[in-house]
Amino acid sequence: MSTPVPVPVIQLAQALTVLVAAPGVSGVIARVESRLQGRRGTRVLQPYYDLGKLFRKEALAPDGASWVFLVAPLGAMACYLTVPLLIPVLTTFPLPLGYLGDILGGGFVLALASFAVAVAAAETGSPYAQLGASRAKTFGAITEPVVLFVVFTVALVTGTDLPYALAETVRSSAEQIVRPAHLLGAAALLLVILAETGRIPVETHTGTTEFGMIEQARPFEHSGPYFAMLSWGSAMKQLILFTILINVFIAPWGLAASPGAGDVAVAVVALVGKCIVLGVLIAVIDNSFAKLRLFKITEFVAAAFLLAVLAVFTLYFGGG
Amino acid sequence: MSVVLVLLTTLPLLSVLAALPARVRISETVTLCTALAGLGLAIVLVPAVVREPVRFGILRADALSVVFLLGTTFLYAATAVYSIGYLNAEREHPGFARYARRFHIGLNLFAWSMMCAPLMDGLALLWIAVEITTVVSALLVALDDTDNAAEAAWKYVLLASAGLGIGLLATIVMYYAGSTVLGSSYDVAFAPLLTAGSTLPHTAVQLAFVLAVVGFGTKVGLFPVHTWLPDAHSEAPTPVSAMLSGSLLAVSFYAVLRYYQVASGTLGPGFPRTVLLVFGVLTLLLAALYLLEQRDLKRLLAYSSVEHMGILTIGIGLGAPLAFAGVLLHVIAHAAAKGNAFFGAGVLVRKYGTKDTGTIRSCLDTLPWTAPLLLFAILALSAMPPFGLFRSEFQIVAGGLAGAHDTVTVVLVVLVTLAFLGLSVATTRMLFVRGGADLPVRGEPSAWMVAPMVAGLLVLIVLGVHPPADFSDLLARGVAELGGGT
Amino acid sequence: MNVLAADPAAVAPPGVYAGVANGLAVLVLLTEFAMLRTTLLRAQVRVYAAQSLLVSLLAVVVAVVRDVPELYALAGLSLALKVIVVPWLVLRMLRAAGTEIAGSGALGVASEVLLAVAVAAFGFFATGRFHVTSPALPETALALSVAVILVAFVLMIVRRDVVSQAIGFFSLENGVSLASLVVAAGMPLILEVAFLFDLLVAVVVFGVLMQVHHRRSESLSTRNLTKLRE
Repeated sequence: MSTPVPVPVIQLAQALTVLVAAPGVSGVIARVESRLQGRRGTRVLQPYYDLGKLFRKEALAPDGASWVFLVAPLGAMACYLTVPLLIPVLTTFPLPLGYLGDILGGGFVLALASFAVAVAAAETGSPYAQLGASRAKTFGAITEPVVLFVVFTVALVTGTDLPYALAETVRSSAEQIVRPAHLLGAAALLLVILAETGRIPVETHTGTTEFGMIEQARPFEHSGPYFAMLSWGSAMKQLILFTILINVFIAPWGLAASPGAGDVAVAVVALVGKCIVLGVLIAVIDNSFAKLRLFKITEFVAAAFLLAVLAVFTLYFGGG
Repeated sequence: MSVVLVLLTTLPLLSVLAALPARVRISETVTLCTALAGLGLAIVLVPAVVREPVRFGILRADALSVVFLLGTTFLYAATAVYSIGYLNAEREHPGFARYARRFHIGLNLFAWSMMCAPLMDGLALLWIAVEITTVVSALLVALDDTDNAAEAAWKYVLLASAGLGIGLLATIVMYYAGSTVLGSSYDVAFAPLLTAGSTLPHTAVQLAFVLAVVGFGTKVGLFPVHTWLPDAHSEAPTPVSAMLSGSLLAVSFYAVLRYYQVASGTLGPGFPRTVLLVFGVLTLLLAALYLLEQRDLKRLLAYSSVEHMGILTIGIGLGAPLAFAGVLLHVIAHAAAKGNAFFGAGVLVRKYGTKDTGTIRSCLDTLPWTAPLLLFAILALSAMPPFGLFRSEFQIVAGGLAGAHDTVTVVLVVLVTLAFLGLSVATTRMLFVRGGADLPVRGEPSAWMVAPMVAGLLVLIVLGVHPPADFSDLLARGVAELGGGT
Repeated sequence: MNVLAADPAAVAPPGVYAGVANGLAVLVLLTEFAMLRTTLLRAQVRVYAAQSLLVSLLAVVVAVVRDVPELYALAGLSLALKVIVVPWLVLRMLRAAGTEIAGSGALGVASEVLLAVAVAAFGFFATGRFHVTSPALPETALALSVAVILVAFVLMIVRRDVVSQAIGFFSLENGVSLASLVVAAGMPLILEVAFLFDLLVAVVVFGVLMQVHHRRSESLSTRNLTKLRE
């Protein structure tokens, strides 16, 4: 047991970990992806360099765009820094601000970020940015029921809907892990994350054809530091979603059980490691399937919905 | 007596073997002999089962099974005779030998499976036998190899198999119900189930009964899963249609009856009767309405079968002993009457080359024997005296009134009258209305096709006027087995 | 830090055995949904094989944990029949027919899935009313098997080609097998074998009729099966 770290510092460390690690995790995934496709790929640290370059560039705004266009990236960033305070990023025990919001609350904050970006995109008058924004909102609306049912599952399993409580329940015994409701809920969440992070089969992550774009098209008109913040934000969103899936649902191990400095350091490393493993898995999925046509995305979401609904069903007889 | 049971379940298989080599005459003869022997053996069983159930290994015959066995074997025999005439006309076609071989193999297998079903001791074996009747008859429906036959066979096999899937679920749930009392090594035989009676878990038996009514009801032709029935009946070769309508539906109804027996033993009669009444009335209503506007002769008769299955179901639902007796009599009389009607329709279709009731005219002029016989068959189906169906429906109605089911009984009478209207209008038009420029030449296609109709008519009259004493005893015993009087 | 203590309102976990068994049953239901979604006939047959494999696997799990040795034989037989023979027969027929893609169903895929979810929910909650409990498997597995059966019906209704409809029937039988594992695990082996044999006969007849259909209409679609109406 090393020297204890003050709890507010850990709280801050959660947000900082996400902030700092997010571009790195994206870099690793991009690297693995290019290797899977037989390319050499960029350096793992490339996203940091990109961000650095973008921050040094001047910012331009389209004619007629109002202050919302410029504030939105900041707002989104703020949202992405708030969510890590609510979820178990580094510790098994709830930190004081963990009670600010439950899973649903975290979801709302994420949705707010997405809303801000969409409004900014709508400000531009660029057809592609608006297309991306409206699509993102449409598919966001149909993934919403899935998320709700996952939340119901969590609520039924733990009796609360605090993410810390579910992580604790999963850790408590093997029978909590094999129960179908838990597995189904986790699978549904994985599908939602694929959709939300713009992965195949919903969207080509690195594609350049605007017609198939959803998430990627939204920051088309932003530039310089604003574009940097949007990219950084989407990397953070990815890491946050990964963290929720890993630390709440599928592998809530390796977290700091006490506020010791060593424990927290281990937890940071463990989190990054686990997220990279998940990222590699997603990269493999990305390379194994074809992108769905835009109108087939509802089928993908229907599959996720099915899993989430079944999770709630199986809980009905206490058999889930 | 056990040797009779064994013979009944093996003879048709032997005639299947005889039909394998392609000699048509031989297989016709063997089929005929087997069928007549089967009828004889079934009659021999009557006095025995009136005393007590006959058992041998997995075979078991009580009064209830013999009633259905009689219907099946009678129709089997009549069909065997009729088929000789039916096939005669095809003799010139290329590929006749192949067709005839398939026909005989199929017909005998079909008859075998339907004779086995009532003789099986246990719900699981019963399900297996009924499933075999389905697959064999599906192949027979497709025998004519036309587009329509292929369509009808596909719809039939799909719907009936799906229904029987539900029937299997019913069997399994019933096994579960039985195993909670009788231990897990028990094989769903009837006697222990009936003895266990009210000690069985109620909800499970309830579930099993409803599943059985829906599942086997698909094959009985109960609403709303009757849709395969008119297609299959109208597209199958006529002898097969007759057996489908007269026996297959009855055999499936027998399965429902067995579940009723167990369910009413466990739950008391209230619940199962209500379920049957609901399904029966809806079925009858639907059939009566369809009968009014049916122009295809064989489909007309098919809907009449749906109607009669509705009557049977209502009869059990009414629950009075008199109604039970009526139902059992109805099973046999319906087999004879519907057999006759299909036989007659087959001759008409042969003669005129169409199934359209709007085109067929002046039958009384062209078919001196078949036309009156068909008329009598239709009258019998409409429950006119002095035929057997009059007696049976009268008993059902009387039972309903006695059992304080006035409303249902009135509905029954009204709907049966409606059905009578539909049937008789279509038939009288074909028989009595003269016209049509190019009528076929006067004369019967084959005496073989007339003979079974005469026999059927005799049976109908005997059943209607004065059933033999042994037969009445059989029915009385069957009523007792169904729990009549409680 | 009381929030982390087990909440009385929470649904207690079913235990490792029941959880695994239910998980397998859930997978059976999911494969049923997968059949509803697949458009390639070949893939559909493979999904059916996978589903049968899951049912056999569940039989083995029950046999091991509940010590019912007959179930090993049953699992082996159903493996041979439903995972190997039946898919092989259907695939051979498909090769002969030369058709790859099923015509689209009567509904869009997403609406099909939603309809099936609704139907499955009905079956699930209806089963709950009957309180059929069994020593072999938890009640949830029974409810899931009923859901499988109902979704198989949806499959048979909305799909418009003979192969999908036949697969729908076969998978309906898988659902019944699942149910029989729950409530009738101790059923005499001879009966189970007879059921399987019966299935084989049905498969052969389905195959024959599918071939008849294909020969007559030059396709596997049932869209043109509309002559017999009224």
